[in-house]
Amino acid sequence: MRIALAVVSLVVLVGSGVVVYDQFQSRWEDNQRAYFHQALDLSKTPAEKAALEQQSPKLEQTIVTAFGEQRIDRCQSCHIAVDDPRFSSATEPLRTHPYSAAMGDVLKNGRWERRHKFSDFGCTVCHDGQGRGLDMADAHGEDTSWPSPLMGYTTQVGWNKTIASHLQGKEFMQANCAQCHTDKDFAGTPEVKRGRELFFKTGCYGCHRMEGLSAGTLGPDLTEVGKERKIDYLWGHIVNPRDYTPTSIMPQFKLSDDDRKALVIFLKSRRGPNTAESPMDVFKLQVSKETPVPESVGAAALNALPATTPAARGAQLIQGYACLSCHKLGDRDGGISPDLSYEGLMRDEPWLLDHFHNPRSRVPDSNMPAFGLPDAEFQDITTYLVSLNKPPAPMTPAETYKTLCARCHGDNGDGHGINSVYLDPAPRNLTNAEFMTTKPEERFLSSIHNGVPGTSMPDWAKTLTDDQIKGVFDYVWATYVREPHRQLKPRKIAEQNPVPSSPESIKRGEATFMQRCTGCHGRKADGHGPNSIDMSPRPRNLRNSAFIHATSDHRLLESVTYGVEGTAMPSWMDYGLSQNDIGDIVNYIRSLNATNK
Amino acid sequence: MSDESNSFWKNVVDFPANVRKSIFRNPLPSSDRGRAATSFSNLFLHIQPVRVSRQALRPTYTMGLGLISFFLFVILTLTGVLLMFYYVPSTTQAYGRMLDLRSSVAFGVILRNMHRWAAHAMVAVVFLHMCRVFFTGSYKPPREFNWLIGVALFLLTLLSSFTGYLLPWDQLAFWAITVGTSIAGYAPFIGKALKFMLLGDATVGQEALLRFYVLHVVVLPLVLTLFVAVHFWRIRKDGGLAKAEEPEAQPVIEVAPVPEPVPAMAASTSAAPARRFSLQGLVRGPFVKVDKIDPDTVFSWPNLLIAELFVLLLTIAGVMLVSILFNAPLEQPVNVMHPPNPAKAPWYFLGLQEQVSYSAFWGGIGVPGIELLLLVLLPFFDRGKAGIGRWFARERLLANSIFLLFVIVNVILIVIGTFFRGANWQFVSPF
Repeated sequence: MRIALAVVSLVVLVGSGVVVYDQFQSRWEDNQRAYFHQALDLSKTPAEKAALEQQSPKLEQTIVTAFGEQRIDRCQSCHIAVDDPRFSSATEPLRTHPYSAAMGDVLKNGRWERRHKFSDFGCTVCHDGQGRGLDMADAHGEDTSWPSPLMGYTTQVGWNKTIASHLQGKEFMQANCAQCHTDKDFAGTPEVKRGRELFFKTGCYGCHRMEGLSAGTLGPDLTEVGKERKIDYLWGHIVNPRDYTPTSIMPQFKLSDDDRKALVIFLKSRRGPNTAESPMDVFKLQVSKETPVPESVGAAALNALPATTPAARGAQLIQGYACLSCHKLGDRDGGISPDLSYEGLMRDEPWLLDHFHNPRSRVPDSNMPAFGLPDAEFQDITTYLVSLNKPPAPMTPAETYKTLCARCHGDNGDGHGINSVYLDPAPRNLTNAEFMTTKPEERFLSSIHNGVPGTSMPDWAKTLTDDQIKGVFDYVWATYVREPHRQLKPRKIAEQNPVPSSPESIKRGEATFMQRCTGCHGRKADGHGPNSIDMSPRPRNLRNSAFIHATSDHRLLESVTYGVEGTAMPSWMDYGLSQNDIGDIVNYIRSLNATNK
Repeated sequence: MSDESNSFWKNVVDFPANVRKSIFRNPLPSSDRGRAATSFSNLFLHIQPVRVSRQALRPTYTMGLGLISFFLFVILTLTGVLLMFYYVPSTTQAYGRMLDLRSSVAFGVILRNMHRWAAHAMVAVVFLHMCRVFFTGSYKPPREFNWLIGVALFLLTLLSSFTGYLLPWDQLAFWAITVGTSIAGYAPFIGKALKFMLLGDATVGQEALLRFYVLHVVVLPLVLTLFVAVHFWRIRKDGGLAKAEEPEAQPVIEVAPVPEPVPAMAASTSAAPARRFSLQGLVRGPFVKVDKIDPDTVFSWPNLLIAELFVLLLTIAGVMLVSILFNAPLEQPVNVMHPPNPAKAPWYFLGLQEQVSYSAFWGGIGVPGIELLLLVLLPFFDRGKAGIGRWFARERLLANSIFLLFVIVNVILIVIGTFFRGANWQFVSPF
């Protein structure tokens, strides 16, 4: 007993010792002593020497209140030589902060004078980090919980290694320069300027709001993104949004690392109202009713447009508004959104104008933002797009598939084309033989001919001749389906819904739907039920009015009664639903789409 | 100077000894009488009995779990009070204060670590203590009520830990509390109101932070202290820790009947004493215990005290070592727009969360409610005398098996919830 007691007592004592030692051993004192020692060797006059010998380590701190929240910067407790020019070639932490004419420092009589004096500005205003920290890991913000590590120097422990390697370099600090130097052409912040241009050139402005700059509503507001996010998140999210938010619809833009860096620096500089703005400026910006227009096509740029005809203006607007950072047109391909090269043959003017004002009025699950442009500009772009009505030169079916179909349906016909991630409903997987062989040939031909309303599948009737369509269809069958058509047992399906629509029927249908269908189709019937995530193809969005209106009672009844082969939709006849139940469900689905015809 | 005892010089010389005597009335005991007096006359020691059974001192019997729980509570109170000097229950300041504790406050890191790890340890140890009491059958009469107090203490411990979880105001805290209070919202009838009362708002925000803070630093510790006092007091009044082969003691405290006034005439005719006195009529049996000492007991001083000191030092050493080696987690500041996937409750509620993933009502309220009801009713329906005071007594095979099953199921659920659940609560392998 006594021995055990002695052992635990010892552990407690040693533990306390460790804690106390940890608290009172301070590296900054050693650093200061080293500095005094080295400075003593360098000093020339006896007075200087005497003064240095009097010195003993003490906490150095600057309290900065002029720039936003109060900052207490104790950085000089370690970096004590920042203003001592004799230490310009010493190693950190005892090194002179470089002088730079570009930063406004002036050389007077052989002595540099700083423009940004440490006594006025402190350190963290430019560098970030944790001013109060006295331990290197704390001060530099190496801990994952610290929101702003030393900008461009410190990468935090939790950061993805492949990303972290891009986040080094003093140019990242320009994001902090821009907090005071807000002029967008300020010479000291070229990366911020370039990032800002990219924000428009890449089309970011279309989805994201940024107070005073853009008015997008599809993505998160980025007005204060620099305050909310660290640079590793910004970089990683641009590289692949779905690494961070699995359900994100943000496209993966093709950008070089330099472009990414400029964008990250620009985004990091956006922290809402900054120190250069008065509260009145902020208020004016908030109540401003003007829709910010991209700077690349600002009013001045528009007036200077050389083109005079609406179509030519439209062509220039498409460039100016960065449409092709997502869409394909001719040789340029953003790799995200549909090909516009034959738009005039696929869509007409009302469709395009409607779609511009609200893309989801035509394709309910589209990820295209509703750009708040003046009507005249929509009209010009529409006129231009309608003029793209020259069919492609005749090609072999294989070439036709490769040029026109593969972008969505994939080179292997598996529905995984480059832009398929962004299309909802997703492009059909043509290698799904179970689905393909059980549907009548006419349905496929009709889908190619007339398109599928409510989806991104356009009608190809004007782009391709009937023979070409048949040729492509045969090619798809021979290359991807590779199974003969199956003859299904004859099915008894009414052409019209046998149950007349009535409030009672809709109510019954809703009750059955809530019981049996919501697992996949969701309680809102939007196809996002809890089981839908792993399904391919995804459950149909039953609120896609354009699609539902274009789909016959016959097909709806058949899909529910017998299921859809090659998909997760089971045959509900086998699960005990009667013809009347199914009729009620169809009435319910139709009622969901009744208001927005 | 006739009065020798009032001589100034003598007082000066005796000053240290007098001060010592005024504080400690007895010298260090060297006799049995002294040992008894020491326990009896000291406020802190009189909580202990004068004599304690050998079985209660055996480490393998109690494993000191109850004491460890208490000492953890003491550590939590001390570190908690110190932390209160630095903490502000404000959504805009709380997180910054956490960062200060990490970098600028003297001993801030060790304070926070000790508080955090001791809190987690207390939840676990209180639960283990409850298991010990069950497996040794120590909840049986006359200790039913103390078992109930114990169940209440377990719940209070969970609540204290849960309310403290929110205070750092980081992502971990925010979403754990969001999940935890959502579970409370599944309760029938009162669920919504209860959730609203806890949060003071529809979502976790400033009001919730303030409420959790007040609950955490004032209300719950006060109630806990009160219950701990009752818990300890009842241990004494119920005859100490449950022992194997207890004597046929009457568990019920009887008020001795006040004897009829004896007529003076009768008294004179009878040689037998007319009255027996018991202490205020309340103490069981004769007050004087001379020659009636249970041979299987030893004096508390020093046997029990050394054991307690050992457990105290062991607890401090354990918490300190863990706190030196591992930092308490602190995640990103709260971001209401970006829930982590999956958002997990504190680990002790992950079993509940796992159950909730199967059925919101049954997992979150139904099953735990039934389990709690069983715990409460247990001592009133399992009253057999057999097997008290022995671990896993054969006579209690059925009861122990059922309880063990509940324990294992809950532990497995917590393990699954902690390690095997990934994004969207999908099953993932941690290996």
